[in-house]
Amino acid sequence: MQVTLHRLAGACALGLALATGGVAHADDRFDFTTSWFQELRKGSEGDLTVLQPQLDVGVDVGDDVTVEAGYTADVISGATAAVYSVDAVSTATPFEETHHQGRLGLGFRGRRSRLTLSAGAGTERDYGSLSLTAKGDIDLPGRNTRLGLTYTHAFDEVCDKDNAEATPLERRPLTGFDTCKKNLLFGDDQPGVTVWRDLSVDTTQLTVTQNLTPTINMQVALYGQVLKGFQSNPYRRVRVRTYEPQENLPDVRGRLALSARLNKFLPSLRGAVHLSGRGYSDTWGVSSGTIELAYSQYVGNHLLLGARARGYQQSAAKFFKDAFFYEHEGEAGAYFAGDRELSRLRHLILGGKISFIETPRYGRPVWGVFDEVSADLKADVLLMEELATDPSDLNPVGIDNQFLTAGKTLDGFLIQLGLTLAY
Amino acid sequence: VDWRSFSERALFRAFVVVVVASSLFGCGRYAVRATEKEYLADRVMTFDNTDQEARAEDSVLAGREGSAGPASGAEDGGGCK
Repeated sequence: MQVTLHRLAGACALGLALATGGVAHADDRFDFTTSWFQELRKGSEGDLTVLQPQLDVGVDVGDDVTVEAGYTADVISGATAAVYSVDAVSTATPFEETHHQGRLGLGFRGRRSRLTLSAGAGTERDYGSLSLTAKGDIDLPGRNTRLGLTYTHAFDEVCDKDNAEATPLERRPLTGFDTCKKNLLFGDDQPGVTVWRDLSVDTTQLTVTQNLTPTINMQVALYGQVLKGFQSNPYRRVRVRTYEPQENLPDVRGRLALSARLNKFLPSLRGAVHLSGRGYSDTWGVSSGTIELAYSQYVGNHLLLGARARGYQQSAAKFFKDAFFYEHEGEAGAYFAGDRELSRLRHLILGGKISFIETPRYGRPVWGVFDEVSADLKADVLLMEELATDPSDLNPVGIDNQFLTAGKTLDGFLIQLGLTLAY
Repeated sequence: VDWRSFSERALFRAFVVVVVASSLFGCGRYAVRATEKEYLADRVMTFDNTDQEARAEDSVLAGREGSAGPASGAEDGGGCK
């Protein structure tokens, strides 16, 4: 079993996902999507596979209230590196885990405003999360401008080895054989064996959506997040000189992102161009830029085709080092990390999507029941490139084997199949 | 980690951007008349009609990008290394 720590940051916003999700829709809805992600990996333990079914149901109660429930599971199997070192490939080990998330929401609609209150819970063997979210938005006079504000607080817990008063270089990692006892959602410490570490996550997002012309609209979003508590991967070890202690990350992380998206409809082509960009910075020193260009095209009365390209690049965290330098220089201050997502890297995603959409004709519901039926098939390919964080000319072994990334042209793909029924 | 200098600098810049953007948006009340919104109402022009797609992608990116977060306004758990 392997906990996935970025999940902790992500899970903080279970409610955020809900609040920005189906609750906002005015009609009763049923949404089901299954995603299959496959990442190619080095080593003898094979690739990484993730299956993620999602189900969301929304029901209107009267004219102004919507109740929604949702469920998501992650079924993950594959290989992970037990030790971050110059040869992490040789420490590849197999793991499996299943993560469950549930959410409930209550939405209220006014003439020009909406308020959503929601709660989410996530659980797996070594992790638990409870999140609460409030989201409001309002259309300004003229209905060309919409302001939205979302706030989420998450109470997370992650199981860890009981290292008592051990120094960072003495800390032992959690293993799949350690028992992580739970009382329902949250954990129960077993002194001398395992303890549950807290992580609180506060997330807020301000969005402004604006119609610019009859065929152009845009959205600007400011996103902030503060994480306080245990954020290391309890399973991961890092080779620091002659030691192999548990990864050690700072307890506080502040994150800030500003993004902008623009849509341009092309009436003569029955298509639309989508352009987006995002800048990000955090207190760990990670800064990044993302740019995406996409295009949508209607074909006939029922088909909608889409294509996109997304480029991403980030700098490394201040305390991240290529494995060779942890082994020969030691830790960076008090910290040492083996997370690939804290290194300097570059990604490219290329994708396509085809949607079949059926809407009422001559006032008759689709299949006699629905206001709309939509089936979607989407495929993305992921090309990842890890870049040297430290000077390459001082690193005789390079960085090729410090992560399990395949290092081929194609590193992974994501396929999604979705069905939406609005009634 | 120099939290204070980061927060003051980054928050100030973000605040300026939001104020400027909001001011521009505030002038947009009359940008489009109600009778001209046919194309803006199309599904390809909305910003939040693919929640589950965005959620699945965020799950994948959360384990691969240090800045992963709700570019689309949607985020959740999941992800893997």
